[in-house]
Amino acid sequence: MKLCPFCGHQNRPGSLFCEDCAQPLFEDAKVLTLQTKQIELPGDVDARSTWGTASFEKHATVLLHVRDASEPISLRPTENQLTIGRADNTSPIGPDLDLTPFGAMDKGVSRLHAAIIRNEDTLTLVDLNSSNGTYLNGQRLTPDTPRVLRDGDEIRFGRLVAHLYFQEDLRA
Amino acid sequence: MAYDGFDPYSVLGIAQTATAEEVKLAYRRLARRLHPDANRNPGAGAQFQYINKAYEMLSDPAQRQAYEKAHASDDADRPYFTLRVTPSRRRIAPLDEPQVVYLLADIIPDPRATEARFRRDTRLNLVLALDRSNSMNGARLNEVKIAAHQIIDHLNEDDIFSIVAFSDRAEVIIPATPVNDKPAMKARVSMMTASGGTEIFQGLNGAVAEARRYLAPRLVNHILLLTDGHTFGDQPQSLQLARTAAQEGIVVSAMGLGQEWNDEFLDELASATGGTSAYINSARAVARFMNSHVRNLSNVFADRIQVSIAPDSDIKLEYVFKLQPSPQPLTIGQGFIPLGSLHRNRPISVLMQFELPPGLSNGFRSVARIVTIGDILAERISSFHTMSDTSVEVAADAMIENPPTAILDALGKLTLYRMQERAQEALEQGDVRKATQHLENLAARLAALGETELAQQARSEAQQVAHTAALTDKGRKTLKYQTRHLLLGSDGGEVG
Repeated sequence: MKLCPFCGHQNRPGSLFCEDCAQPLFEDAKVLTLQTKQIELPGDVDARSTWGTASFEKHATVLLHVRDASEPISLRPTENQLTIGRADNTSPIGPDLDLTPFGAMDKGVSRLHAAIIRNEDTLTLVDLNSSNGTYLNGQRLTPDTPRVLRDGDEIRFGRLVAHLYFQEDLRA
Repeated sequence: MAYDGFDPYSVLGIAQTATAEEVKLAYRRLARRLHPDANRNPGAGAQFQYINKAYEMLSDPAQRQAYEKAHASDDADRPYFTLRVTPSRRRIAPLDEPQVVYLLADIIPDPRATEARFRRDTRLNLVLALDRSNSMNGARLNEVKIAAHQIIDHLNEDDIFSIVAFSDRAEVIIPATPVNDKPAMKARVSMMTASGGTEIFQGLNGAVAEARRYLAPRLVNHILLLTDGHTFGDQPQSLQLARTAAQEGIVVSAMGLGQEWNDEFLDELASATGGTSAYINSARAVARFMNSHVRNLSNVFADRIQVSIAPDSDIKLEYVFKLQPSPQPLTIGQGFIPLGSLHRNRPISVLMQFELPPGLSNGFRSVARIVTIGDILAERISSFHTMSDTSVEVAADAMIENPPTAILDALGKLTLYRMQERAQEALEQGDVRKATQHLENLAARLAALGETELAQQARSEAQQVAHTAALTDKGRKTLKYQTRHLLLGSDGGEVG
C-alpha cells in the first residue's frame, strides 16, 4: 500500500494521485506544485522546499518547539490520542499538553484543540473541531480528519505556531 | 464486416515468414487469452472475431497467398491513423497486493489527412434538435436562432442540414436537404416560437428520422441537441434510441443551457454515441458553443471511431475516460466503445485504469489488447482497423521510474474531475461528511494549481453541502464541466 502523505489514505501501489484527496503521490510531485504552492501560503509561514521523513521509529520521540519559546517540549505519543489544548478550571477534562504557558488564551487555542496519534510507523495530527482551526504547513485541516506528520512540519493551533521534530531514541 | 487496414500477421503477433505450425500456435495462445469463455471482459468477446478472421486468412494457403499478393506494394498499406499506447510504468515489481497501471492510448491521424483531397471531402449530415419549450422563451430562443443562422451561413452547398424543434412534441422546421437555399432556411428559423414542456425523446426521435434520410457512411452524421429542461420518464427510451442511432452511424452531442437540465442523462446520451456533452451557463454563450461545435465537425477526417479494450483475464479494467479532442467520461461494459470523430489535426486520447492481481510472476506479460476501428470518410473505407498489444515487465528489482509526463498531466486533472464525482457519490449514499471533505480537498488542489475561481466555487459548495446536504444546481454543473474542461489542452495536439 502507498500511504498518502497528506491525508493518510491507503492507495494501491501504482496509483499516481491519492484517491481520497487528489494529491500527487509520485516521487517528484513537489516540482509540479511548488511554484503555485508558495502563493497560497499565508505570510507568516516559511515556504518549505523539502519534506522530512514521515516514518516514525518505534522508540522515537517528538520535540514540539513553540515559536519564541526557549525550550522545546518533548512528547512521547501513544496509540491513544495525545491531546493538545488549553487547560481551563471550569472544564473537567484537560488536555495532555497544556499550551497556556505559551499564550494559548490570547492566540485562540481551544481547550481541546488537536491531537497527535501514533500509528504503526507514522504520526498523524487531527483537529478536534477547534474554533480557530489547526494548520499543517499552512493548510487548514478538516476537523476529525487525520493528516500524516513529517519531521520538520509546521503546525499552527489558532495563531500559535510550533515546529515539530522527530527524535530517534539514541539507546536503540 | 470490412477489413481495411487489417493485418492478420500483427493480429496474431507473428512474422510474415511464419510457418503453418507457428500460425496455429499463435492462434491457440491468443484464443486462451481472449476467448469469451476464458475472458469475460466484453472487449475480449468483441476482439475474438478478429483473431478468428486472421487465423482463417492465414491457415488457408489460398487465402494467405491472395492477401500477400494484394499487399505486395507497401504504399497501399500506409495507415490512415495509428494507435500508440503508453503505460504509466514499463517495469513493475511482483507484489502480494493488487496494483494499478494506467494506459494512455493516442489515436493519431496520418499527416496525409491535411491534404486538400481529404479536406474537400468532409461533408456534413447535420441535424439541430432544438428545445423550444416555454422556458426557452425570450433571450434563450433568440440566441438559439442567431446561432442557427450563423451555422447555416457557414455550411457548404453539398452539406445536408435539418432542424427539428421540440417541446412535448416534435416539429420539423427544416426537413433534411442539401443547403442550396440559405435565405429560405433562415426565414424558417426566424419563425420558431416557444411553447409547451420538454420531452427530449420527442426531439431525439424527430432528429434521428431526419438524420436517417441522407444517412451515409461517407458523411459526418451528427445530431446536436440543445435543451434547457429536465425531461421526465422518457430517459430509458431516449438512451435506447441513441444506442440504435449510434449503431447506424449517427453521433449525438448534447448541450444543456441554464441549470434545470439533467446532466447525468445528457452525459450518458452523448457518451453512448461517441458525442460530447457541454454546459452553457448563459444564453449569451449559446452561439459561440454551437458554432465552434459545428466548425469542429468540418474538420473530421475519420468518423465513428470505436475502441475495444480487452484486458487479460486476470486484469480488471476500472475506468476509461476520453481526454481529447473533447473530454468525456466513457462507459465500460460494451465490446466497442464509441469515441466519435477523429479530426485531421488532433489525436483522440483515452486514459484507462487497470488493476493487476497480486502474485505476478517475473518476465514480460501482456496487460491488454486494444483495437480501434473507424471510417475514413474521403476514401469510403469503413472499419479501418488498427491494434496494439501492451506488455509490462515484471521484475523484483523494478526501479521506481517517473511516469510519462503526458499521463501525469492528464491524470492530475482527471483526478480533480473524479473528486467531484466522488463527492457526488458520497452525497447519494448520504455521507455528507465525506462529500464535504472531497469538495474541500478539491478546493485545495484547485487552489494549488492556480484555478482560484473554481477553487472558490468548490469551497462554497463544500459549505453548502455541510449545511444543506446538497450541492447547488449551478455549483454542481460548474464543478463538473469546468474540471472536465481543465483537461482540454493538457497536451493540446502535441502528440504525434
